[in-house]
Amino acid sequence: MNVDAMNAPQEVVLSVEGLRVYFRNEEEVARAVDGVDFEVRRGETVCLVGESGCGKTVSALALLGLLPRPPGEIAGGRVRFCGDDLLDRDEEALQVVRGRRIGMVFQEPLTSLNPVFTIGEQIAEPLRVHLELPESQIRQRCLQLLHDVGIDSPEQRLAAYPHQLSGGQRQRAMIAMALACGPELIIADEPTTALDVTVQAQILSLMNRLQHAHDMSVLYITHDLGVVSQIADRVYVMYAGVIVETGAAQPVLRNPRHPYTRALLDSLPNRRKRGRRLYSIPGSVPHPAYKPAGCPFHPRCPRAIDACREHFPGMCVFDDGQVARCPVAAGRKLTDWCRS
Amino acid sequence: MEPHKAESMDLLRIEKLKKYFPVRRGFFQRTVGWVRAVEDVSLYLARGKTLGLVGESGCGKTTVARMILNLLPADGGRILYKGNDICGLSDKDMKPFRKEIQIVFQDPYGSLNPRMTVGQTLSEGLRITGIRGRTDRREPIERLLGLVGMAPTAIDRYPHEFSGGQRQRIGIARALSVEPALVVCDEPVSALDVSIQAQIINLLKDLQDRLGLSYVFISHDLNVVGYLCHQVAVMYRGQIMEYAPAEKVFENPLHPYTRVLLAALPDLESGKAPPATGLESERPEFALTPPEGCRFRMRCPEKHDRCRLLNPELTPVDDDHWVRCWQAPPHSTRI
Repeated sequence: MNVDAMNAPQEVVLSVEGLRVYFRNEEEVARAVDGVDFEVRRGETVCLVGESGCGKTVSALALLGLLPRPPGEIAGGRVRFCGDDLLDRDEEALQVVRGRRIGMVFQEPLTSLNPVFTIGEQIAEPLRVHLELPESQIRQRCLQLLHDVGIDSPEQRLAAYPHQLSGGQRQRAMIAMALACGPELIIADEPTTALDVTVQAQILSLMNRLQHAHDMSVLYITHDLGVVSQIADRVYVMYAGVIVETGAAQPVLRNPRHPYTRALLDSLPNRRKRGRRLYSIPGSVPHPAYKPAGCPFHPRCPRAIDACREHFPGMCVFDDGQVARCPVAAGRKLTDWCRS
Repeated sequence: MEPHKAESMDLLRIEKLKKYFPVRRGFFQRTVGWVRAVEDVSLYLARGKTLGLVGESGCGKTTVARMILNLLPADGGRILYKGNDICGLSDKDMKPFRKEIQIVFQDPYGSLNPRMTVGQTLSEGLRITGIRGRTDRREPIERLLGLVGMAPTAIDRYPHEFSGGQRQRIGIARALSVEPALVVCDEPVSALDVSIQAQIINLLKDLQDRLGLSYVFISHDLNVVGYLCHQVAVMYRGQIMEYAPAEKVFENPLHPYTRVLLAALPDLESGKAPPATGLESERPEFALTPPEGCRFRMRCPEKHDRCRLLNPELTPVDDDHWVRCWQAPPHSTRI
């Protein structure tokens, strides 16, 4: 049973193929993103999950053309958004896409909102720039947006500065800005990480509701597997700049095939594990400039064999359609290793 | 009434603790009001056990921690450590207790002095406890590093050379250098990645088993608290809403706020549940001063008229289960 083909809508909104992002200085090259493939289809929520430094945020910044270059450079790959290649575009052309067709929500709303402009002015900006709405309509549209994202008394909030709002309200305002031009895709980078659990639940259900109301796709970047279980249709697990496992979210979380995904889940504490020792992954994430040869996870992997030290493993398809970059778990022969 | 148990068992006992912060406005910084940051907080902690203090940001959990360490004077109530009231002690009188009560901070990057080697950081505590000569100290420092799972070669290195998880180990070693009985852990794993978080949680547990430490464990993460803590106190806006052994809080939560927190908790094993809480946002007019009556009533999905008039007391529903809610069932042994 191929879960992907079964319940996913077919139209691909965003596709990333073989994306490589390197950071260079005099001495070393940090391969932050090292050949990443993923896609987001219409109406679905896709999570990119991994620990800090795995390249998830850099991937998102690169595909939006927001990567500071230098020191960053896109060393390869293609990014297609609704059929158009984004990496070929110049800055001016990208600005038409960003904010209008792709909305963005970032982690810390206090730093990504401008402190010297009111919420109203900041929500109005994309409406003015992208949609060229007449001034008479802008206020009305702003009020509607604030209402949509569940902000009380929007009339007053329009005139408020970011510091006058609570964390949850700021994140709602950010979402209102991302929604302003009716985008086809929202890219959200850890939008609830700085928030309390109850506020996080509110924001996640808000995004879920808006997504269905506007038939948007969401690419959601997070380190939190709990969030993935709550919102994702499909998930991509990243480690050291590569995707190590992907599939429909529930099967991946219930029956992870890659040893890294397994280890992450085993190391999560909860009350049912009381009295048992938590599994802890030995060692730490490799520096992106000094990744080990072979499989990047092999020094920390409980299932590593000799071949893992030499050969970079390809993606292996399991019987049920789940895909993991681990030929050992898939029981493949050594000769099949290097095909992905 | 306070949660009560055999007095001799308790290492730490907090009674009706109170802290108000002034709100100052204007040119002369006149006090125009008070933030009731901590009010009527009573807790106890037995030797060798872990007390979890959970709640959302701003609920007063860190304020309680700072008062336990006497880094912040209390405005009322008592903190009994081994039967001695340590509230309002002068620095001199507090000194013997400083050795006994230590803290581990959230941010492993900000809480170590970047100009001091690990050896220098750890020897400060040893110097205070009276181990004077440099060579005398080297050996106990190596032992401390071993205790937290680090190589003795770390001794001459600086904090920036270590990862977040290792820095947190150094922070724990620093707390242990004076051989405390009680360690206050203020969100010690919140800033760490999942794989590192498990290492530190295991370490804290091992140290408790080996050294008989007691922890006050402050966290907003109920999954960590449910795994690690024996007792759990749920705080909301400066007051304890529910206080019980961890199993009771998780299996039989009696306060609506506890239930809301647990409902918001992602549960990987139960599968995808679109998060929906009946919780309303806090109204901005109550940002500083909570409303009259129950502090939680503005957001409570189960509020009724009585909640508006009177703030309920923290009341026992069972010998070891305390709830601050009008709806809580009465104590089973009372009529």
